[in-house]
Amino acid sequence: MTELFIDDMRKELDNKSVTSSDLFNEARDKALKYQDEYNSFVTIMDKKEEMDSNTKLSGIPYGLKDNISTKGILTTGSSNILKDYIPVYDATVYRKLKEAGAVLVGKTVLDELAMGGTGTTGHTGIVRNPWDKDRMIGGSSSGSASSVALGIVPFSIGSDTGDSIRKPASYGGVVGFKPTYGRVSRYGLFAFASSLDTVGVIARSTRDISYVMDIIKGHDDRDMTSLPDDNILYSDNINNEIKGKKLFYIKEALENKSGNKELEQIIDNFYKTIDKAREIGFIIDEVSIDKELLETIYPAYNVISCAEATSNNSNLTGICFGNRIDGKDINDIMMKTRTEGFSELIKRRFVIGSYVLQKENQDKLFLNACRVRRLIVDRFNELFKEYDGYILPSTERIAPRFNEASDKLGDDYLILGNHLIIGNFGGYPSISIPSGFVNNMPVGISITGRAKEDYLVLNMANKLEEVLGYKGQVSKSE
Amino acid sequence: MIDKNKLNDLANRLMFKMEDGEYDTLLREFDITLKQMEFIGNIKDIEKVNPMFYPFDLELDDSYLREDTFNNEIDFNSMLINVKDYEGSKVKVPKVVE
Repeated sequence: MTELFIDDMRKELDNKSVTSSDLFNEARDKALKYQDEYNSFVTIMDKKEEMDSNTKLSGIPYGLKDNISTKGILTTGSSNILKDYIPVYDATVYRKLKEAGAVLVGKTVLDELAMGGTGTTGHTGIVRNPWDKDRMIGGSSSGSASSVALGIVPFSIGSDTGDSIRKPASYGGVVGFKPTYGRVSRYGLFAFASSLDTVGVIARSTRDISYVMDIIKGHDDRDMTSLPDDNILYSDNINNEIKGKKLFYIKEALENKSGNKELEQIIDNFYKTIDKAREIGFIIDEVSIDKELLETIYPAYNVISCAEATSNNSNLTGICFGNRIDGKDINDIMMKTRTEGFSELIKRRFVIGSYVLQKENQDKLFLNACRVRRLIVDRFNELFKEYDGYILPSTERIAPRFNEASDKLGDDYLILGNHLIIGNFGGYPSISIPSGFVNNMPVGISITGRAKEDYLVLNMANKLEEVLGYKGQVSKSE
Repeated sequence: MIDKNKLNDLANRLMFKMEDGEYDTLLREFDITLKQMEFIGNIKDIEKVNPMFYPFDLELDDSYLREDTFNNEIDFNSMLINVKDYEGSKVKVPKVVE
């Protein structure tokens, strides 16, 4: 039952074929059954929260990324430094879901403090890809993607700073949506890079994403960067006519000079996908963008995100909260707490962030990264005057095997591997939907649209999803 | 010029220690990052571009300036859940003054 769409579960609940307790118990049993093998959760709830409400999500089970605060429920950020931390307040996204009657099944594993894209750096161990256990699910919303791909829950909440919802969703054969920056309140989300962080949804259909978005979006006085309400029900606009909507793809992103066979198949899948999109009325053009500008996306992201992360995480000292390691004085306590509490990857990112913020480096490193961010966003804003969005393969490869990739910040200039960051630079709504299989692993395509037009991105993705035939897929059908 | 001593100094300021091998990885990363950033620095007239710190202009209404209102959201008992040690109504923290 938990592998069904939200509409189907709603029907079963409304005609009293099942109760919300039945759904919770089924989801919980599946979560426990798959936990040793796939490690989707940091915490699996013992008992169901009781809320009286009457919404589309009443009684529907879901997962919540473990960097989102839940009062009285362990929230670790998948980091040793917060391994025992229990928040004293609810994040807005969690409060809204609770008030809507959605039922929390568990807190999902992430790459430590949401910094990473592999699903291998959480303090409770690696998350495995439900389609092939020897492969990564990606990250940082790793457990959120795997819990949906396994059919444990119909949706999970994630966060996305560079591609952290869309990449694991693509590797896991499910749908991942990063809304416009500020569309969903960040109150209660552990900050990674505040100018890029977004709370979003992973589900098995765009329609299900729209149901969840209708509940969690909206202005929040507790988050000054949250947008005013848009007063649009996304689920009511999901089936709007898309004939004549204009998308572009970036010519330079689809170059395959090395002749890599896997990439060739991914690009082939993409061209077949846009053929289907054209058949249902999309107008899709090839656009050329200065390659040198596109190649600055990753280094600029690296500098900006590390700088913001260094600052945001300076509160993790073990003094006020967190896993304090005792020492002879306050400096010794902080030094020991942070040395033992952070993994190597996190420390490296903090050092880079600190370096680029130093007075003597700030202009040529941090500010230049922010300047190039503007150049990239200006270019896309210009294109978005003519086009409703851009479409590209979500990733440049299928999910890597565990021995194939590390999460070191490399000099990878692959544009296709980093284009999702554009969505965070410009705050654009961006979605990845499954578009087929390459070497028996799922691949996805992404659509990124104008800022604040979340409903249109969901609408366009839903129409395309209808003709692709991978909607609702789960890796384990029971 | 970045070397291990510089990185060690940065790590110390950030209040953590790193292993020797970790510095080697970090030095390689810096090598790549700085080359990439040098490339960005060479973009024509980059210094004239206004840095972007947020995706778009924030739409702030007047409500962000408000009167202070007393709102005791966290009661003592719920706060204690993360407290290692306390006495009566006082939380015990590490000695911060020598």
